[in-house]
Amino acid sequence: MSQESLALLMFAATCGALLLGYPVAFTLAGSALLFASFGWMVGVFDPTFLLAFPQRIFGVMTNEVLIAVPMFVFMGCMLERARVAEELLHAAERLFGGLRGGLGVSVSVVGALLAASTGIVGATVVTMGLLSLPTMLKRGYAPSLATGSICAAGTLGQIIPPSIVLILLGDVISNAYQKAQLDQGVFSPKVVSVGDLFAGALLPGLLLVGMYVLYQLVYGWARPQDSPALSREERESHPEPLWEHMGRALLPPLLLIVAVLGSVLAGVATPTESASAGAFGAILLAGRRIPAARRACTIAAVALLPLFILATGFDMRIAREEIPTGDWIAILCALALCAPICWGAGVGLWHLQRASILPAVCRSAGKITSMVFIILVGASMFSLVFRGFGGDDMIHAFLAALPGGVVGGLILVMAVMFVLGFFLDFIEITFVVVPLVAPVFLAMGVDPVWLGVMMAINLQTSFLTPPFGFALFYLRGVAPESVSTMEIYRGVIPFVALQLLALLLLALFPQMAIWLPDVIFG
Amino acid sequence: MSKTPGTGKDGAGAKGMLRLAALLDGLNRHIGRSVAYLALAMVLAQFLVVVMRYAFGVGSIQLQEAIIYMHAALFLLLAGYTLGEGGHVRVDVFHERLGARMRNWVEIGGALVFLLPLCVYVVWSSMPYVLQSWAILETSREELGLPAVFLLKTLIPAFAVLLALQGISHLLRIFFAEESGGAQAAEEEGL
Repeated sequence: MSQESLALLMFAATCGALLLGYPVAFTLAGSALLFASFGWMVGVFDPTFLLAFPQRIFGVMTNEVLIAVPMFVFMGCMLERARVAEELLHAAERLFGGLRGGLGVSVSVVGALLAASTGIVGATVVTMGLLSLPTMLKRGYAPSLATGSICAAGTLGQIIPPSIVLILLGDVISNAYQKAQLDQGVFSPKVVSVGDLFAGALLPGLLLVGMYVLYQLVYGWARPQDSPALSREERESHPEPLWEHMGRALLPPLLLIVAVLGSVLAGVATPTESASAGAFGAILLAGRRIPAARRACTIAAVALLPLFILATGFDMRIAREEIPTGDWIAILCALALCAPICWGAGVGLWHLQRASILPAVCRSAGKITSMVFIILVGASMFSLVFRGFGGDDMIHAFLAALPGGVVGGLILVMAVMFVLGFFLDFIEITFVVVPLVAPVFLAMGVDPVWLGVMMAINLQTSFLTPPFGFALFYLRGVAPESVSTMEIYRGVIPFVALQLLALLLLALFPQMAIWLPDVIFG
Repeated sequence: MSKTPGTGKDGAGAKGMLRLAALLDGLNRHIGRSVAYLALAMVLAQFLVVVMRYAFGVGSIQLQEAIIYMHAALFLLLAGYTLGEGGHVRVDVFHERLGARMRNWVEIGGALVFLLPLCVYVVWSSMPYVLQSWAILETSREELGLPAVFLLKTLIPAFAVLLALQGISHLLRIFFAEESGGAQAAEEEGL
């Protein structure tokens, strides 16, 4: 048996085995191990390839870029407990409810805001499915429109930074970019960072939000019976004035977005650093939900602001030889501010622990983190073996020989990823498929940021596409029985079309992705 | 998970095996629940790094490396716990439609063909790597880093062992609950 046929067989067999439903991480690694031993027995696999596996695991353990993932996951789990989504939805419904299609618009806008503060898809779809769907149905929305807009808005978390998908893709693509340049003999290679990808995805993400909103407004105008406006009494039944309600609901997530996204996009902080600040903010927000900890957490949050101002306005480096008096005073003030911050966070954490919120958040963040990284471990075993069989070279040769060159290859790869997205999670696709194909395209001169954003939108689209899109499963899980699965499918199809349109626009105008990172990072 | 132990003629044996399974589950649960707090510890440590660096201009390589250690320990030591809690993602397109008996076969096959060989391989292949690190009590490549890289590397076989124990517990539950829980499985299948 030749090497190439074993590589192909392994790929096919692994896909088949995955469908049986045993956890992905172990299926990937286990079947690779099985094929490696078979290949070794028939003499076409060099087992020394596999000896690198412990080093590969160690590489995953010490990858500093990916440390942002557990922090963002923690932040997402904590924000869920802080019930930011509820507040936002209620306020947005009052703001937009007067328009035809307004409830749908508010779902899209809140989906975008949640996506910009964290990046976990399942949670957003479930939260909005539980909160907005009943309201929309009660107000006479067509079930298909209501469910479609919720699914679409929920998947925005994948494309609007900061998103876990973009972090993982950023890491894989930056490695591929290095490799492609080294292969071409460029020994001082250019780098692409997760920050670049965040900046590149921002405009396409906002474009998608705009398209969703526009679609729903047009739909509401054309078929008012399917997405009626709320009556004036309904909107004014709330005891609080609208602006106050808006401020209370919007301020916390907006501050988080500015702090987290702003610091990454300004090139000041790494995604990991920003994520930790966001997670700290989420702890304070969740703490404020507990009456006993409310004041302490508010004080801590308020104390962060002057600390930030001092840090930007004064040179507070304490390791200097000589420190002018003015700076000394600033340093002492800053140190004094740290006291209420530590105290407030401590009180918040203590009460979150007593309310059993902290253990639940840590456990779910830990489990999600473990799930993601063990897949990475499994996928690295898979790619080691696939490489050992010469699968890499085979794919290079195949893509290079395709008619249509770069464009033909890209279309094919995008189509394959789209279909794989029905069955596999974005994590597996990012770790298994992208490392195989990205170096080829990058060597052909494709822009790495553009490629990453295209792939992210593509994966997001396949998450939304019936019958297997993950977002649809999440929503089916929480939607009432009265909404049929067919209605959900029918509802997302227009949104899938919008996604494909956005993908086409991005393919025709790569500047949408390339321009912003260029401006920011030069 | 809460199937009652068998009462047939191998009742005692099955009971013992299920007790072993409960023990293994408990081990991973205790480890998982304690180690999970590293998620919080990482966030706080990283935020401390941020404040120290951006406000006061001081950095600590040791703290930075501690975050890496916590991250590695978090996802490796929680792998077994996550398996026990059903947290490792599956392709559920067809899995959902399989009957309970068929799903048990997938679990048995997956554990015997994929999971356990993988764990054995990880332990076997990482042993020389880890022992070598212990032999020289490997320290960080950074001069001021943490002097415990050998402990960090030890997490690799520890991960495989915890994962294997959880896989074995899973198998024990399927095998020994089958005998008494056959009726229950059939009932689930009928749904």
